[in-house]
Amino acid sequence: MTLSPHGLRARNARAAALVAAAAAMSLAATGCSVANSDAGDPAGGGNTLRVVLPQEPPTLEPCEASLTATGVVVRSNITEPLLERNPTTGTLEPRLATEWTQTQPTLWTFKLRSGVKFSDGSDFTSEDAVAAIERSANNTKLACNVQGYVFGESGKLTLAAPDASTVTVQTGQPDPLLPLRVSFVEMTKSDTSTTEKVREPVGTGPYKIETWAAGQKLTLTSWDGYWGDKPAYAKAEYQWREEGTVRAAMVVNGEADLATNLGADDGAGDTGVQYPNNETTALRFTTDQAPLNDIRVRQAIDMSIDRDGIVKSLFGGIGRPASQLIGPGVVGYNESLTPTAYDLAGAKALVDQARADGVKVDTPFRIIGRTAQFPKIAESIELIQSALTQIGLTAKIEMMDTSAQMKYQLRPFPDDAGPVALMIMHGNQAGDAAFTVGQYFATDGAQSSSGTPQLDQQIKAAGTQTGDARKQAYAGVFASENKDVRGFAFLANMGAVLGLAENVSYAPDAATGDELRLADVKPKS
Amino acid sequence: MLTFLRRRVLTSLLPLLAVVLGVFVLARLTGNPTALYLPENATAQAREQFSAANGFDKPIWSQLLDYLSGVVRLDFGTSLRTGESAAVMALRAFPATLQLAAVTMLLACLVGTAVGCWAALRPNGLADRVSSLLSMTAASVPDFWLAILGIWVFAIMLGVLPTSGVDAGGLSWVLPIAVLMLRPAGVLTQVVRGAMISALGSPYVKVARSKGAGERRVVARHALKNAAPPALTVAGDLAVGLINGAVVVESIFGWPGIGKLLIDAILQRDFAVLQAAVAITAISIFVLNIAIDIGYALLDARVRQKVGAAA
Repeated sequence: MTLSPHGLRARNARAAALVAAAAAMSLAATGCSVANSDAGDPAGGGNTLRVVLPQEPPTLEPCEASLTATGVVVRSNITEPLLERNPTTGTLEPRLATEWTQTQPTLWTFKLRSGVKFSDGSDFTSEDAVAAIERSANNTKLACNVQGYVFGESGKLTLAAPDASTVTVQTGQPDPLLPLRVSFVEMTKSDTSTTEKVREPVGTGPYKIETWAAGQKLTLTSWDGYWGDKPAYAKAEYQWREEGTVRAAMVVNGEADLATNLGADDGAGDTGVQYPNNETTALRFTTDQAPLNDIRVRQAIDMSIDRDGIVKSLFGGIGRPASQLIGPGVVGYNESLTPTAYDLAGAKALVDQARADGVKVDTPFRIIGRTAQFPKIAESIELIQSALTQIGLTAKIEMMDTSAQMKYQLRPFPDDAGPVALMIMHGNQAGDAAFTVGQYFATDGAQSSSGTPQLDQQIKAAGTQTGDARKQAYAGVFASENKDVRGFAFLANMGAVLGLAENVSYAPDAATGDELRLADVKPKS
Repeated sequence: MLTFLRRRVLTSLLPLLAVVLGVFVLARLTGNPTALYLPENATAQAREQFSAANGFDKPIWSQLLDYLSGVVRLDFGTSLRTGESAAVMALRAFPATLQLAAVTMLLACLVGTAVGCWAALRPNGLADRVSSLLSMTAASVPDFWLAILGIWVFAIMLGVLPTSGVDAGGLSWVLPIAVLMLRPAGVLTQVVRGAMISALGSPYVKVARSKGAGERRVVARHALKNAAPPALTVAGDLAVGLINGAVVVESIFGWPGIGKLLIDAILQRDFAVLQAAVAITAISIFVLNIAIDIGYALLDARVRQKVGAAA
């Protein structure tokens, strides 16, 4: 077959047209919509609050609400607890319970609010409350996160519902913290599965789940039967972006109204609001092997950390140098402790002294960090390593992912771990030092790699106290740990930045990272 | 051709099985994920219960048998993280990645071919030098940096594109595709340029020119057709890389694809999701490779003859 020049051009033109058509069809076939997305309902209307989070909630199971990614959505929005801790004052305030009393040393009685309904229209009764506490605190098979975190030391609870508005909780030993522990339990219906976790719960909160397009967005909608004030926003739409810069950009660009967990240099600009969170960062030492088995070496490491420099230059001034493993809002915080002063010469003298006494200070040890655990973690560790070199110690840095790092954070530690300084970040959401010292300072604590029998006794005695005596007893524990053990070099009481659109009013507090109450967010008038 | 296809599919099954087994073994080498899923101070009893409930307490060969028997039934198990079917999660996410990769690759091929041909027409000329510089830069720039820069310029400064997400219709595609296509477009430009320079200097092109064929015909009908096979091979590799490498772009732009799912599954030691996602990705890559082989045969008469002879 022969083709005339005109025919050739026509054929080339057809080929080009075919390619162009293929490209157009590819896009047309997609309809410009993305698979696995719900493209037909972009938010942005005046009555929808658009929130962007660092990650998608793995589940909305209420008994997992002490996991940040779950709790920030579910707590006090979809479900509610009987009572809740005010993150600013530390006091417990009524929610679904109106009063609670210690009717006997080991018995607490809760009176429930009347007229409360679940979002499916059913009444909230004492049977629901009993089932929810039973499910979260006693059900070992379900292994709820809140069970280990909050009820780990309280033993099995005996629950009863004497009438439709009363719940009693019997403890094995007198437990002054029982109401605080119960404040971590989100109320669910009595017919909620006790053998499997639920991804989309029915609760009594001001919002209920409208749609959850997995991987893309979650939409909550307010409902008319809520017992409290109707929230200002009829809907809330959650999206998630891993990068802080993208979350900040979404607020700056008007695509989101509120962005959580931003860093100082994520670019939130005028939309950024700083707030202290519950987290404290520290190096936790193993104390059984040289060179970290000598308290002078641990003290020297502590003195070689330039906390002010790290907070100012790396954290952008967000947070403050730490003197202990909890922040000022927590019961037991010791006001008299101050962050260790940066003193390289003094630190070097301590190392030299230990060396002269035969301590193997030249033995290398590892500084282990968890990648992306907090902004600038790698740079912080590098700065510390550099200072350690100057005082005559040899530290190697190992950054690990969460799973690998957890092997060094939780007992039993690897047998061949060697001497380790582990970078940790601890958040005391409960507001009481008991939830910190037992885990980190006691010799058998799940996350402890130091401790002494004397400190164990002190911790045990502090746990039996109430009121001011309790505050002083725990303050004493922190002082003793610093002076006699020095199993930690505290870095900073951390802070965070919230991106807030100009047309939105919200005051973040220490609990914002764990519990973002949508009802507290209002449009600016 | 059918015989060739049948043989190609059968030879692909072995590596596919190796991938399925490999991901199972490698995942288990990272250890028991119980610590990630239970409270930090969970009791030893609770940890044992969790391990037993998810089969982590069994010998690895027993876990492997359970896994393989599930794969045969297309049951990859349940996600530890979400409680959903792992296969459902992977199948839900995969089309979004496929869409992104397909459109990106098509555009990268068009751009790479056009610019590569243009540069090859006058080797070492201004157009060639400029396109070489740009294409090499495009092939070298990290996706992460480019994505953040793109958001800053086009979303924040100019306000013409959304920062991320999939709600803005066609506009949602622009930044992810632009970021994702730069590297393949740059590489393809270089490959097409080299192949075209070689082809344009070939005797058959000289013959065509001496017979009076126009430059457009010489380029399109003679040189490009002969330069296409190496470009197709590279394009195939790049397409595979796109499916695997969309992790960064999906994470930054909130694209609900399998790359993000895969990296989350790795970090969370969510073995079932990891295995399902890898299996689906591996199958798609094998399909793609077969498609490339067919394309090669269609473009290159020598290969076509070999295929015919083998059949």
